Amino acid sequence: MFSEPQKRISAKALKVWRISGIIKSAIGWSITALFLFLIHIFDWPFWISVLLIVFGVIFPFLHIILFPALRWKRWRYEVREEEIELQGGIFIISRTLVPMVRVQHVDTVQGPILRKYKLASVVVHTAATAHEIPALEESEAEELRFFISKLARVAEEDV
Amino acid sequence: MSKPKRLHPIASVIQTGKRLKGLALPGIAFIISVGRHGKEGLVGSLVISLVVVLIILLTGILSWLRFTFRFENDELRIEHGVFIRKKRYIPFERIQSIDLTEGILQRIFGLVKVQIETAGGGGGEEAEAVLSAISKEEARLIQEYVAAAKNGGAGETQFVQEGQPVFKISFGQLMILSLTSGGIGVVISALFALLSQLDDLIPFQRLFGGFEKWAVHNLFIIAIIVFLGFFLAWLIALVMTMLKYSNFTVVKTEKDFIISHGLLEKRQITIPLNRIQAIRVSETLVRHFLGYGTVTIESAGGSTANLEGANVTLLPIVKVKQIQSIIGPHISDYIFANSFNPAPKRAMWRYILRTWYFVIPIVIISLIFLKVWGMLSFILLAFVTIWAIHKYRAAGWALNEQQLSLRFQFIKRTTVFMKKNKIQSLETRGSPFQRKRNLGTIEANVKSGVGAGGGSVIDIEKSDIEKIFEWYSRNKKGDCTEV
Repeated sequence: MFSEPQKRISAKALKVWRISGIIKSAIGWSITALFLFLIHIFDWPFWISVLLIVFGVIFPFLHIILFPALRWKRWRYEVREEEIELQGGIFIISRTLVPMVRVQHVDTVQGPILRKYKLASVVVHTAATAHEIPALEESEAEELRFFISKLARVAEEDV
Repeated sequence: MSKPKRLHPIASVIQTGKRLKGLALPGIAFIISVGRHGKEGLVGSLVISLVVVLIILLTGILSWLRFTFRFENDELRIEHGVFIRKKRYIPFERIQSIDLTEGILQRIFGLVKVQIETAGGGGGEEAEAVLSAISKEEARLIQEYVAAAKNGGAGETQFVQEGQPVFKISFGQLMILSLTSGGIGVVISALFALLSQLDDLIPFQRLFGGFEKWAVHNLFIIAIIVFLGFFLAWLIALVMTMLKYSNFTVVKTEKDFIISHGLLEKRQITIPLNRIQAIRVSETLVRHFLGYGTVTIESAGGSTANLEGANVTLLPIVKVKQIQSIIGPHISDYIFANSFNPAPKRAMWRYILRTWYFVIPIVIISLIFLKVWGMLSFILLAFVTIWAIHKYRAAGWALNEQQLSLRFQFIKRTTVFMKKNKIQSLETRGSPFQRKRNLGTIEANVKSGVGAGGGSVIDIEKSDIEKIFEWYSRNKKGDCTEV
């Protein structure tokens, strides 16, 4: 077994994901409520309502409780002189290796929830793919972006 | 260098024709939908359509008038636009590839369509510059200028066509290519005809109503009509492929592959060798059985509208065993003759199970609803199982010093050859089921046109994945300098 990457993402990520899970569930519930209303009006079969309600319970459980916890537990990354290694996933665990020489540019991205918690995501772009390291401390993300772009510039090679 | 020139007037015809074609359907729909409401509506809509057509004709002529190109200061300078004037200056040395197409209209007048792509490329709808109809002389001039600019200015201009021949399609190959293209349709319709013999077994009547009653009784006739339709479509496809790929030749110059093909519409595509990101060999079921495959090149650049720019056919049909000897000498850093490491035995069950997830429910449902006849679904089960084993057999990987080769099958059996320094990122994935059996999926990404290409192999040995990762990693284990 080859060793996992070492660094974890911010512990606050858990909170952020749970909040976004709550928002997703709220949207889901309002759509479900609309459908339940329609089902009531048009006298559609009862089992559809049951299905919807069951779904309305499971979905929040997955997106507020289970997925964020698993995701946070899995997320690891490591930025070395010559490459970036990422590990993530919920059930399917993926590991990605991106050599510094292949990095085209680096972004930091911050949604409203991330901003509130002073977090940011770093997105590394190659010529073909994009890789995100979600929810790092703002200062750390800033530092990482600077570090990667500096290394990427040094490691020049033909594409 | 030269005075501003216009495209040949036929360019305006081509342009206008293209726009009219785009508007024809909505136009007809408009006339019909409005014209239904009485005479005035019909006349009104016809007048509006006429005005629209006139406007298109007029703007077609205007935009042709406004479109000029010239060679100046080692640049191709294009100015165009009716309301918004646009200028685009492209330095010759920046031009990466020049593609020539001779459509039927162009051929009648001895013209050629030139598509010019630069390194920047990508993202745009079209190639950087398109000259839709210019004389062959002018096209040759552009090629010469570009060649001269690349060879460091003034030097001898060399006609770019010269180079070593790599491949020329033979009549036999052309026949095999045409006969094996799109044969699936015929097979499907033949199956349909066969199935229709069983019409009294499936309760169509209960499923449908009136016309369907006629249809059910005449299912065999319908099946034959469908079959004939498919057969005709196949014949047409056959002729089209023959026309498209006849005279397929590949020539290699110092820095490029030049591919030309076509009988009615001639095309010439230039691929700079240094833009090759990966080489892909794909074999359809029938072709694999005959030992044939298609070689395509994934190249950087190209535009979204011109997908062929990113995925160019290098050898449309060739014996897989001969690939090494045909293109090996020309791109010597690629190794095609390779022994592949297969996926482990225990992966075969995962390949089979993965198809069963979908098919078993179908089998159960058909057993419940169709009773004894539901057993026919076992044929489907057997078929997908054999297919899964076939897929498992295709899975494999090979490592050379600087090359990763992945072989896998989705519909076509595909082998991708990638150089280490062209792989943009390497990824491995494992579901809980895969992890339990120490298996994993490996995926390598290369740049292909504006997006990502590459390949992935499912269910290979975990230690093999580690080997590939180690090969790709630039860090020797142990000295992990962290941030």
